[in-house]
Amino acid sequence: MKSSISLSRRQFVKTSLGGCLSIGVGTAVPSFLANALGEQVKQDENILVVVQLTGGNDGLNTVVPFQDDAYYKARPKLGIAAKDLLKEGGELGLHPSLRGFHELMQEGTASVVQGVGYPNPNRSHFESMDIWHTCLRKDKKRSDGWLGRYVDQNNGSLSEDVPALHVGGGKQPLALATRNVRVPSLNKLTDFQLQGNHQEVIEAVLETELTSPASEKGGLLDFVQSSTTSAISASKRVSDAVQQYRPEFKYPETDLARKLSTVAQLINSGLKTSVYYVELDGFDTHAEQVDTHAILLRDWSDAVSAFMKDLKARDHADRVCVMTFSEFGRRVAENASGGTDHGAAGPMLICGGKVKSGFLGQTPDLTDLDDGDIQHQIDFRQVYAGILRDWLHVSPREVILGQFPPLSLFS
Amino acid sequence: MNDLRNIDPNTAWQPFVPSAEIPWTDRLAAHLFRRAGFGASFAELEEAAKKSPDQIVSEMIAKSRQEQEFRDVADTLAETVIPSGNARSLSAAWVYRLLRTPNPLQEKMTLFWHGHFATSAEKVKDPRMMWEQNQLLRKNALGNFGSLVQAISKDPAMLVYLDSTSNRKAHPNENYAREVMELFCLGEGHYTEVDVQELARCFTGWEIKNHRFRKNRYQHDGSEKSILGKTGEFGGEEGVAIVIQQEATPQFICRKLVRFFVCDEPELSDEFIAPLVRTMQDNDLEIAPVVSQILTSQFFYSKHAVGRKIKSPVEFMIGTMRCLEASGNTQQIAEGLMQAGQGLFYPPSVKGWDGGRTWINSSTLLARANLAQRILNDTVTKFHGENLGDYLRTYDIDTPIQLIPWFNRLTMTAPLDPIIEKQIIDRIPANEARDEKSLRGIVEVIAALPAYHLA
Repeated sequence: MKSSISLSRRQFVKTSLGGCLSIGVGTAVPSFLANALGEQVKQDENILVVVQLTGGNDGLNTVVPFQDDAYYKARPKLGIAAKDLLKEGGELGLHPSLRGFHELMQEGTASVVQGVGYPNPNRSHFESMDIWHTCLRKDKKRSDGWLGRYVDQNNGSLSEDVPALHVGGGKQPLALATRNVRVPSLNKLTDFQLQGNHQEVIEAVLETELTSPASEKGGLLDFVQSSTTSAISASKRVSDAVQQYRPEFKYPETDLARKLSTVAQLINSGLKTSVYYVELDGFDTHAEQVDTHAILLRDWSDAVSAFMKDLKARDHADRVCVMTFSEFGRRVAENASGGTDHGAAGPMLICGGKVKSGFLGQTPDLTDLDDGDIQHQIDFRQVYAGILRDWLHVSPREVILGQFPPLSLFS
Repeated sequence: MNDLRNIDPNTAWQPFVPSAEIPWTDRLAAHLFRRAGFGASFAELEEAAKKSPDQIVSEMIAKSRQEQEFRDVADTLAETVIPSGNARSLSAAWVYRLLRTPNPLQEKMTLFWHGHFATSAEKVKDPRMMWEQNQLLRKNALGNFGSLVQAISKDPAMLVYLDSTSNRKAHPNENYAREVMELFCLGEGHYTEVDVQELARCFTGWEIKNHRFRKNRYQHDGSEKSILGKTGEFGGEEGVAIVIQQEATPQFICRKLVRFFVCDEPELSDEFIAPLVRTMQDNDLEIAPVVSQILTSQFFYSKHAVGRKIKSPVEFMIGTMRCLEASGNTQQIAEGLMQAGQGLFYPPSVKGWDGGRTWINSSTLLARANLAQRILNDTVTKFHGENLGDYLRTYDIDTPIQLIPWFNRLTMTAPLDPIIEKQIIDRIPANEARDEKSLRGIVEVIAALPAYHLA
């Protein structure tokens, strides 16, 4: 519990600082406080949230070409009847579980990028996932991931708050592997708050310590001091945010929703992290796929739409882009166990206030398959490049390790 | 900034002789113990003040060859957790060892090699393999670098980690060959892609089968190879030997040792570390003579070294506890270290931990503070088996006013600002003499100060 003393001190600081600034007297403001205030005001950086669907999502039953006879021919048992699909005009319909996502599309804040993959698709989960994570094939040394490179290369311009966060337990995705800057994983929000009985003493002592004249400029102590300023201010913001946080919309009771709600709270706290990464596992549907897939897609869609609604209510929707991908799509033809096997290209799903809404790319041609799989028409690196260039505002080339024409995703 | 341009390398690595300008004090002894181990208790420092730095370092190195009794206890503990199949418990067993070892230099070097030959249980999974590698690193921690690389080249955990458990004649696996040159011995720029391919051929036929290393002679490519200017029908050991014999090897290792023991910054020039490289070469790549030279050098006790490192999470937490002879919940400490960015047996990549500034960000700093808080407020945590108040009584410390400077001398590189001292005392009132909560609270608050993270 946070005591009223702390809150009132904080209130006082806010008010008095506001007063100072408004009459143009800013010099007397201790840097520790000015910093905390500055970070509260400046919240205009764009944020990328990556949602990984682990196991290979059946793209063809996610976004269904219901006017194509070849679809129903290949999927006598698994094919979803046209009348059950959620339609957006045109020749494509969404899986009935995607009600939330469908609403986002109708609002103009979501898009489907069709037929995303890469040449010579690898059908191993691990290998394909590694390719998506690193933009490199097995013959190359893969010591960092694409988001890791983004973080490393832009370290100077990113803030002292952690540049990227993996939200969830378990192994950190290779996409976030860096060479220099560490990317933390966080399971609970309390990991990001100073705990215990002495937090106020620590905060107070640090305020004194940190307002005393800086040590050797640019030296190690100076660096730890400024990092501590960020840490304490992040902790305060997260604590305040958690305390004041009332979800505008009830999130579903699922693991993914819990993670995204955590991300929403962190964004809302003003944390200057620009990349968040969450996973939803279970998409490897080789048998009895119908129910499993319906549940997974509902979990995803409900969680993402609650997240977007929550962000919108707090005025953050326009600076957040949610990118959802899976390591591959599945075979066009269903198998004998009521499931589908590992395939190749699949759709990527993009949500966000500034997203160019609708269906991007050509609807996959189910008569022109590569070894029974949908051929890719858009390289996943084109999607990355579009996000890097137009959303995160960095040059994509060194991050995706090659030249791919960026896909225009934002309006 | 730490400017080394005007320092003569030859003088820098000469033995430190205490003088009026830089006398041998308990603060300087504490510096040695922090760097060569994980900090010293007050009793250890009192003992150290009576000896010369040279004598202390010699004793530390000699110790790494004894202390069998403690090793047996710590080994047994590790062995008992292996059947659980959970490598996380192994991490806690190492914490136990770090807290209790009578031979901190050996553990410090083991940790150094763990970061150097980085292998993660996240991928290897099998705790026995991880434990055996850990023992290999410990056994060779201050031994011969050449022998260590030869042994690690056949280490099951390492080869599993680098996907090199099967090296077939028709498809030589370049992964291990590359890392031996890039990360273990030479560093980038000291070999070519062709050297990697040729060395990979030397390793053909090397396999891990049933968790054991073996050579499959049917899969070995016995034809001629050409590596780093040498040509012959080399096998794996000969290939590794060629790499080890390169001049770049002692250079690569000495640079990393200086960064580990002396200062995080700046990048060191070849000229600056040349005297150490000579020592390593003259001693047939033995590690102990270089470590000893570093820890007894003028440079090590200079202002370019004291306070010029950021504590790793292990140094931070284990150091705090060892200075107070503390014991506590090892599982919780191991988990906390993971949160703070240094999970034992879980390095982030084959490159190990970069250290220095990369230890620090909002999340790791909060993880450090919260870990210290959890352990200090846990009643399981004892100080030489006692409450903190009773423990401090042995040193005639009763009040916060006495505790602050005392603890500062043990754990920090510079005295605290009196204003900070006063603020801590004012805000953590002691209701009575030896108020356990206040004393623990003071340690917790000091451990959260920015300067506390410097070593």
